[in-house]
Amino acid sequence: MINQYLEASKSKWVKVLIGLGVGLILCLLINLSFGSVSIELSKVFAFFIGGTTENDSWDLILRNFRLPKALTAVLVGSALSVSGLQMQTLFRNPLAGPYVLGISSGAGLGVAIAIFLGFYVGGFLELSGIGRSWLLVAAAGVGSLSVLLVISLAASRIKDSVTLLIIGLMFGAASGAFVSILQFFSQAENIQAYVIWSFGSLGSLSWTELSVFIPIITLGLIFSILLSKPLNTLLLGENYAVSLGLNMKKTRLLIIINTAVLAGTVTAFCGPIAFFGIALPHLTRMLFNTSNHLFLTPLVILFGGTLMLLFDFIAQLPGIETTLPINAVTALFGAPFVIYLLLRKRNLYYSY
Amino acid sequence: MSLLEVKNLSIGYPGKDQNKIIQSDVSVYLESGQIVSLMGQNGVGKTTFIKTISGLLNPIKGEILFDGRPLEQLSAADMSKKLSVVLTEKPYAQNLSVLELITIGRHPYSSWMGMLSAHDKEVIDWAITETHINYLANKKLFELSDGQLQKVMIAKALAQETNIILLDEPAAHLDLYNKIEVMMLLRQIAQSGKAILISTHDMQVSTQLSDRLWLFNFNEAVKQGTPEDLIMDGTLEKTLYLNGYGYDMVHGTVDMIKSGRTVSINGSGDRLFWTQQALRRNGYTVQEKSEVAVIISDSAWEVNVGEQTFHVESIENLLLKLNNILSS
Repeated sequence: MINQYLEASKSKWVKVLIGLGVGLILCLLINLSFGSVSIELSKVFAFFIGGTTENDSWDLILRNFRLPKALTAVLVGSALSVSGLQMQTLFRNPLAGPYVLGISSGAGLGVAIAIFLGFYVGGFLELSGIGRSWLLVAAAGVGSLSVLLVISLAASRIKDSVTLLIIGLMFGAASGAFVSILQFFSQAENIQAYVIWSFGSLGSLSWTELSVFIPIITLGLIFSILLSKPLNTLLLGENYAVSLGLNMKKTRLLIIINTAVLAGTVTAFCGPIAFFGIALPHLTRMLFNTSNHLFLTPLVILFGGTLMLLFDFIAQLPGIETTLPINAVTALFGAPFVIYLLLRKRNLYYSY
Repeated sequence: MSLLEVKNLSIGYPGKDQNKIIQSDVSVYLESGQIVSLMGQNGVGKTTFIKTISGLLNPIKGEILFDGRPLEQLSAADMSKKLSVVLTEKPYAQNLSVLELITIGRHPYSSWMGMLSAHDKEVIDWAITETHINYLANKKLFELSDGQLQKVMIAKALAQETNIILLDEPAAHLDLYNKIEVMMLLRQIAQSGKAILISTHDMQVSTQLSDRLWLFNFNEAVKQGTPEDLIMDGTLEKTLYLNGYGYDMVHGTVDMIKSGRTVSINGSGDRLFWTQQALRRNGYTVQEKSEVAVIISDSAWEVNVGEQTFHVESIENLLLKLNNILSS
C-alpha cells in the first residue's frame, strides 16, 4: 500500500519538476530573444547550437549582455528563494527571508563604507569600470561575511533559534543606522551611487564576475538540496527534530552558512534584492501544495529561477531602451499575486 | 537488564545562581513489555522528566542509563534509535501528509537524501497498519482530529523502531472512546516487547491499563508500584488530590451537596446504576431502609410512601414525583 502511494507521489513530482525545468528553459529563451533589439527565437537556438546567429552585433548582444544577465537572473532567483525557504523553516516564521539575519544590512554597510569613505580616501571616484565594480563586490562580501561570522558564533552558543532571529534583526537596525550616519555626512553623488546599488541590478555582471558568481551559487544550491532531509525533520518542531536524531546546533549552523553564502553572494554582486526571497517560498508552497522539502527545495530552485527571468523580462520592457530597477518590479508584480493567493487560501499556516 | 534505568535523578531548570529543582532523587526503571503511567498534579515535573530522559533537557544531577549506557555517552542519533517521543506539542507544519510525517519518523534510518529502503517502507507500512490509520495516509495534518493526530504521532514513534516510547499526555483532549482506543493500542504495542511510559491525569483508564504507576508529588519522594496496591493503601489519592472536594477520584464519581432526604432503592443492572446517579445528583442519600422506597422494574419505577404507591415511566418523572412527595 505504502509503495503505491510513494510511487504515485514520486512520479507526480518528477513530472512537475520536469515541467518546471522545461518552463525555465522556455523563459530563458524568451528572455534572451526580447529586449531593446528583438532577436528571433530561431536565431537564439542557432546561437546555442552553432555558437553564432550569423549576425555579429546579435552575437555580441547575446554573448556579452543577454546571456550573462539571464544566467544571473536564474541564479539570483534560485538562490534567494532557496535561502528564504530555509530561513522560514528554520525559524518557523513566515516573515523570515534570506536577509532576516542581517546579511543584506551587513553588505549594505560594507558598500556604504566603500562608497562614502572611499571618497575621502580619494581613490574611489578614480576607479572606474571593472575596478570599481570589484571594489563594491569585495565591500559587500566582507560586510555579509562578517555578519555571517558573528551570527554563526552566536548560533553555536545559543540554544533557541528565535533569539538568533532577533539578533539578526538588531544587526539590521544597527547597520541601517550606521549607513544613515554615513549618508548624512556625504555628498550627493555618493548618496546617489549608494541608492543605485541598493536598487539591485541583474545586468551588471560581466563574464569575469560570473566566473566567480556561478560556481559559488551552484555549489550553494547543491548544498541546499542536501539539507532537505534535516529541514524536513525541523517541520515537526525542534524537540521532535532532536528526538529524531538531528544534531540541532550543527544543522542550524550549516543552514545559516548555506543561506548566508547564497544571499551574501547575491547581494555582493547584484545588490539587495528584496521581497523575492520572502514571497517565493510561500508562492511555491501555495501553488504546489506541499511542505516536503525533498520536493520543495528543487521546486523552489526551479520556480525561483523561472520567475526571476520573467520579472527581468518585465523590467527591460520590450522595445524600450531603459530598464526598471529589478527591486521595484519584483515587489510591484509579486505582491498582488501573493495577496491574491493568500485571500484564496485563507490561512498561510495551512500552506506550511 | 532494564531498558531504561534512572538513578538519583534531579530534574529542573538551570538558574543564574541556583538551579530550580522540580524533582530530586528520582530512581525508577522501565522494563520491556510494560506500560508505566507517570502521574501527578500540574507543575509537578512530568513533562520535564520526559524531556530530561529523552535528552531534550539536561539533567541537574543523577544518572540516566539506556541498556546500561549513560545518556551523556549517546549522541542524538544513537538516542533516536533507542527512544521515541510523542510530545504535547503539535507538529509545526500542518500541510504535511500523514505518510510524509511517518516517513520523517524514519529519519534515523533513511539515507542522507531521505530515500527509503525496502525495509524502511515495510516498517512504515507496519506502523500504519498497527495504529489502524490506513484510511488517513494521504490526508494532510490540518485535516485530522485530535484523536487521529495522536494515533498518527504514535505511528511516527513506532516507525522510529525504538524499544522505549515516551508519551506526554497522550489522552488529553480526547473523548473517552478515543482515549480507550489509544490506550488499548499502547497496550497492544507494549505486548510486542516495547516499554511505554505515559504521563497522564486520567485515573480510570490508566490505572486499568498500566502495569506500574510512578507518582510524582511536590517535595516528596517518587512513589511507585502496581496501580491496585497504590489505590488500596490510599497513596494514589493522597498524592494526587487534596481531600475535601467531595470527589471520589479513583472511581471518577462526584458527591453532591446532601439535602438530607433519604430513599431506599430496590432493583438491578443498568437501570439501578443510572437511577442511583440521578438521585445522588439531586442530593438524595441512598439507604437500605427509608420511608420512601423506589422499586425498579423492567419497564417502570414504583414509589412507595407509607400506604401510597405511584408509578412513573422515566427518571425525570421519578425525580418530580419524589420532589412533590418530600416537599409536601
